[in-house]
Amino acid sequence: MFEINYGSDGDIVCTGRLDAAQCEVAQSFMDAVAESRTLNFSALEYISSAGLGILLKTQKRLAQSGAALKIINVNNHIRDVFHYSGFHAIFEIEAKQE
Amino acid sequence: MEKAFARSFASLDAVYEYVEEALAANDIGDAVRFPVHLALEELFTNMVKYNPDVDGDIEVAIDAGDGNVTVTLTEYDVDEFDVTTPRNVDIDAPLHARTPGGLGLHLIQNLVDKLEYEYLDRRSRVIFTKESGNRHV
Repeated sequence: MFEINYGSDGDIVCTGRLDAAQCEVAQSFMDAVAESRTLNFSALEYISSAGLGILLKTQKRLAQSGAALKIINVNNHIRDVFHYSGFHAIFEIEAKQE
Repeated sequence: MEKAFARSFASLDAVYEYVEEALAANDIGDAVRFPVHLALEELFTNMVKYNPDVDGDIEVAIDAGDGNVTVTLTEYDVDEFDVTTPRNVDIDAPLHARTPGGLGLHLIQNLVDKLEYEYLDRRSRVIFTKESGNRHV
């Protein structure tokens, strides 16, 4: 299961497992993002390279207008994936307090 | 345990449930489950993406006992593609120089303890192992 929605504070809240089967939903949502936003991953359990591709594509598009994504509440496993992908260099990332 | 899955992204939920059942039955913790699921998804989706003209199922076998989780993916009537070849991914590249894609095998090569590839008579087999430390005595 995967869900992506705006939270009451305007953050983008991701829940569940973002795998290749869920990319169409995530990509469609992120394609409509036009300004700097914070992605809250507190309830995101899992992400694969398919999800990383969506984040990268969105960050590149937003950068053209001086905007950017920030990612917060990242669990240890996703943090490892970001580490091996070098995402810390291209996203502002905050770990989850675990 | 071994099971065949239709060659489709739509099979990912069933693959996840199949493997999760084996991992839970062997008390495999999160620190091992996450990379196992990730490696399996990356390999399975690669097989789907890069062999679009092949109809046959993809076989997935898992052995989660004796201190290791070993997963084997087998497909038939496909071209050779050695997933153990090192990927030249520049993780220090700036944003403008990056393109989506190409990270999957790089991640697997960093997150599993052993990755093997066999190719014979158009049968392709990938075997990966993640140490779990859970030994049955």
